[in-house]
Order: sequence, then C-alpha cells, then structure tokens
Amino acid sequence: MKRRTFLAGLAAVPVAGCGLSGTSNTAAGGNGQVTGEITFQTWSLKPKYTDYVNGVVDAFQKQHQGTSVKWVDQPADGYLAKVMADASAGSLPDVINVPPDLSFPLAKAGQLVNLDESLRDAKAEYLQNAWQAFEIPGKGGCYGFPWYLNTGPIFYNKALFSQAGLDPDKPPTNFKELEEQALKLAAKKIAILGQTPSIADFGLYGVKLFENDKFTFNEPKGVEFVESYKRMYDAGALIPEALTQNYTGAGAKFMAQQTALNPGSAYDLGKFKTDAPSLYANIGITTPITNTGSANMFLHGVSVPKSSKNQATALAFGRFVTNAENQVKFAKLASIFPSTSKGGDDPYFTTEDGTDEARVRVAAAKQLKTAVNYTPVQFSDQMREALLQQLADAMLGKKSPKQALDDAVAECNRLLK
Amino acid sequence: MTHRPYTPWLFLAPGLAVCLLFVIFPFLNMIVLAFTDASALGGGEFTGVDNFVRMAQDPKFWAAARNSLLYMAGVVPPLVLLPLLIAMLAQKIVPGIGIFRTAFFTPVIASTVVVGLIWTWLLDSRGLVNNLVEALGGSRIGFLTDSTLLLISSMVVTIWRGLGYYMVIYLAALANVPKDLHEAAMVDGAGPVRRFWSVTVPSIRPTMVLVAALSAVNGFRVFSEIYLLSGGSGGPGGASTTLVMLIQSVGRGLTGEVGYASALSIVLFVILLGLLLVTLKLNRREDRL
Repeated sequence: MKRRTFLAGLAAVPVAGCGLSGTSNTAAGGNGQVTGEITFQTWSLKPKYTDYVNGVVDAFQKQHQGTSVKWVDQPADGYLAKVMADASAGSLPDVINVPPDLSFPLAKAGQLVNLDESLRDAKAEYLQNAWQAFEIPGKGGCYGFPWYLNTGPIFYNKALFSQAGLDPDKPPTNFKELEEQALKLAAKKIAILGQTPSIADFGLYGVKLFENDKFTFNEPKGVEFVESYKRMYDAGALIPEALTQNYTGAGAKFMAQQTALNPGSAYDLGKFKTDAPSLYANIGITTPITNTGSANMFLHGVSVPKSSKNQATALAFGRFVTNAENQVKFAKLASIFPSTSKGGDDPYFTTEDGTDEARVRVAAAKQLKTAVNYTPVQFSDQMREALLQQLADAMLGKKSPKQALDDAVAECNRLLK
Repeated sequence: MTHRPYTPWLFLAPGLAVCLLFVIFPFLNMIVLAFTDASALGGGEFTGVDNFVRMAQDPKFWAAARNSLLYMAGVVPPLVLLPLLIAMLAQKIVPGIGIFRTAFFTPVIASTVVVGLIWTWLLDSRGLVNNLVEALGGSRIGFLTDSTLLLISSMVVTIWRGLGYYMVIYLAALANVPKDLHEAAMVDGAGPVRRFWSVTVPSIRPTMVLVAALSAVNGFRVFSEIYLLSGGSGGPGGASTTLVMLIQSVGRGLTGEVGYASALSIVLFVILLGLLLVTLKLNRREDRL
C-alpha cells in the first residue's frame, strides 16, 4: 500500500517545467549493439510527467542513432496484474518500472537481467543502499537500476499535542517517547496513530526482520514492540480503524485531524496546504521515529527482462533514464529524490530557502544518505496481509503478541517457499 | 432457397469463439491448475489432491465459507420480500411515481466503488451515523471495525443496492397478475392482506424463486461490499473475509498461489451449482403443484 501511495502522490504533483537537453554521458550497456526498438513501461507517470519522459526518450534516441523507444504508461490500478500477465506470458516490456518487492519474484523466477554481471561498472553510479535494495539477499546479483527514492518526515498536529498538555515542539523521536506521548494524548481522548505497525516499522524499532533465509521478526524485540502497541491500543491511542487501515486510509484520518501523528513524504506537505488548510496551520514536521538512527526509504527502479530481444539497448536505456542528470531533473519536478551517488549533491537538495517545502526536502535528502529500505524484498502482499491480520488479533486480545507474531512469521515463511 | 448446413455455424461462430476463449478454456485451465502448485510465474507441478486436503485443514477456508453462507442467509429473505413490497407500491399509477421508481433504481446503476465510499463515510467510527448516535447520547458503534457488524453493514449495502433491481423484476411479474382475480377476491370479501397472500404471492411465486436464486448466488459470491467497507482487509484479523475475497487474496500478485486459488474456485463453483440445482428443483416442484 505504501508503494501505491508513493506513486499516487508522485502522479499528482504538478509539473513545474519540462524539456531536456539532448546530451547525456550514459555509456552503452551490456554486450551487443545499442540499436533497434524497445518498449519502456512506467507506472502512472502520465499525464503529469509526459513531457519529462518524452524528453528523456528523445534525448536517448538522439544520442543513440538507430534506436527507437516506445513509451507505455500503465495506470497505478492494475499495474501488478498487468506485470503478472506479461510475466506469465513471457512478454514483459524491454524496460520495466518496478519497485524492489516486485522485482524480487521476477528475479527469483529467472526473468530479469542481473546487472552485476551485465554492467559491472554501473554499481558505482548509485547510492549503495539503493543498489542493495534490488539485490537478492544472500544470493547476490542486482536486478534493477535504482530510480527515484523517497523518505518521510513525520508530520504531527501541534494543536492536538498542545490540547493534551504536551510540548508541541518536542515530538517523539524514538518508540519509547512515542508510547509515552501516545498515552498522554489518549488520556485526553486523542488518538495518535491510524495504523498498526508495518514490517518497516519493526525494522525502525530495531527488530531483526530476516536472517538465514527466514523471517525472524518474532524475536523478543519484536514481541516487545507489539506489546507497546497493545498498551497504546488498549488506552485508545490508535483509532478503531487502525486494525484494518492501510497507509492511504491512515493518511486520510490524519488529514481529517482524527489522529495526531503520521509518517509522510515531502509531497504530503503540498497536499495539506491545499486540501487541509486548518491542519497545515498547525502542522509540525520532525524526523522519523527510529531506534536505529536510520530512516526508512521507499524506492522504485527499472529492470530489464531476460526476454528482451534487444537487451543491449534496453540496458543502455535503463541506465540512461536513471543517470544523475535525468534523475535530478525528475526530482525537481516531483517531490522525490535521486538514487545516484552524485544526484543528492545538487544545491536543490542541500540549500534551504526559508520555505517549509525546502526544509522538508533538505532534511529528507540528508536522511536518505543513511536511510534503509527496511522492507525485505521477500515481503509480499500476502505476507503484509498476514502480519496485519495477526496484529489485529493481538490488539483485540484474541492472541498474545508472542503468539500473533509466531503465527505471522510461520505464515510468511510458508509463503516464502 | 438452398439450405447450407454450415450457415447456422457461421452465425454462431463469433459468439462461440468468444465463449471458448474467455469462458471454456479458462475454466478448464482452472481445473488443471487446481491439481498443481502453480504460481503466477510458473506452471507448477502436479500435486494431486494436495490443495483440497490443505483446504480441508485451512481454518481460513472454513471461516470464509461460513461468512459466505451467513451472508447469503442474511440477504436472501430481505431481497425476496422488500423489493416485492416496494414493487407493489411503485406499481400504483399516481402522480410522481416515476420519481420513486427512479430513486429506488439509482443504487443499481451507481458505481460500486462510489457506493462503497459513501457507505464507508456514513458508517465510519467518525462518520455521519456515529456522530448522530453520539449526539443522541449513545456511544460510537464499530460498524466497520467489528467483524460481525462489518458483515451486517455489508449485507445492508447489498440489500440497499439490490432493492431496485429486484423491484423491476417484480414489477414485470405483477403486471402479469390478472386483474379479474383480484376483483373476484374483492367481491368475495378478501381484504388487501388476504389478496396479497392468496392472489399475488401464488401468481408470482416463480418470480420469487428466481429472485431467491439470483440473490443467493450473488450473496454467496459477495466481494465488493466487504472489500470496500473493510478497506480490502476483510475486517480486523480478516475475520469477515468471504470465499471470493479469500480466492482473490490467495491468488493475487506475482507471489500468488494460483493452484490453491483455483482449487478454492472449484469449490465455490460446485457450491453455486448446487444452489442453482436446488432452486431449479424447487421451481419445478412448484410448477407441478
């Protein structure tokens, strides 16, 4: 769900400008001639970024005479179904926009090109944490060029914090403080959160998620984390819908000022300004709640299927789309960040201009240098659902936190096979 | 005129081709897949009846089957009776009746997603209904956060959506009830209630059976209402998941267990086929009486 929101957000950001120069420093990738026709499939970038993508395509074609890139954009709804149908039929497009959790099953099924083998020098061009996100843990190999990244600040409602007698300038920075402040808010009948923890939240808490080819988030620290949430839930610090809530739903509750705190992204700030001005007037922005010191990171990438009849061109294009120059231009149009090692040095991501937007952007860019994609690539949608259901049972007292986590881990490990 | 034996086949060919390609072939494929451990990305290996054995031991399957049955039992009686009563009122030719007929039919043509969103806003813990309950001094009710109430709330939406559709079916049936029967009953001193039970109901009984069959099948196959009201989660802990939701949940995505989802689909098909056969048999018996 987080993935979808991230993209929906991206698609909704207005295009401030467009047009790209026809120059690039991208080298051709893989073996063989960079020529001929390829298809590039993106996820919900039309119509907001039509000009940008067309500009990238034109620049590539100009740089590599004799190539032709056909751009196909798929709407966010049904994207997974489309990829699934194409993958089953062995007819995936030559270059495909996928996040790590979607690239993993394709890579596992042997359908994607291993970039570590085909383009050995590419790795250095990207942030190491972003590159690692497209690796199969323990087995090596990278199966996607990291593309755009995002990380969230935490938004909180200063008015609700003040109402509960809390200092609106001292929001929680770790999970211990989160519980303390949540219980104080709950005493005033104010809920702090709109959802139960995701697998990434377990990572932020410091729980070991995956080791030796198995999920391990039922370790004592994981149980301690769920027990903390159970105390908050019992006190009324989570809204009732938290047990079934997904990320978008929790965001809507925060916008309606029914919850006091919510993780978000730079894009959300603009949304608050236009859609919830009374919230915007009281909005507090702080760093992510983490016990590890590292924020969570969301990312997208582009992969090249082995079935591509024009692999050399597909690899060259994938590398071109995700090079520093193109990523920085894209990031300036949308509230996202480049995944290249040099992209983040652009003054746009390092200099504040006094606006809230710039403050969030600079803070997020800084955060990204150490951010981790906590969600294991093996963690599928079915596993997310299993965790949500078991956590709901734990919150309702149908199961102990230990039992609920044991059951969730058992189901996730079964689904791994 | 010369009769060419292949002419009828030429007319039938486009329809048959579509049917073969999009109905028969997928159906046969599903039967094959049900005996494999296929995933979305692989053909899978033959596993015999493993999927069915797993199903028998899967508490999620039994909970989903129970929810689907409860759902069916909850929506069929209201959907057989309420549209009939509304049709009898809407049948009267009085000024402005068109507005009422349209109002009752509007939910049928409304988008399911829009309907789901409207009802979510109404029944949310901070929604219109709960605000009203609180204003009247009550405490908030977990229409969407309690697994039983979520099922009941979804049934209400299904009934609300179905009223107009079945009303139209009843309107057509009521128009065929001979007026002289009603007139004769009136002459014999029968009041409106007696005429309803002794004239209207026997005359439209086949339609009632049809409505019962259609609403039972739709009730057992319910998906959209619960999916939308629960935000796709099937309620807290997935406790309100129905059989179709379970199939979707098991089979979706690149990591979906297509083999197991196919086995679940076969069981759903067999149950629905059984329901229709029972209805057909009941209808025939009624005809003979």
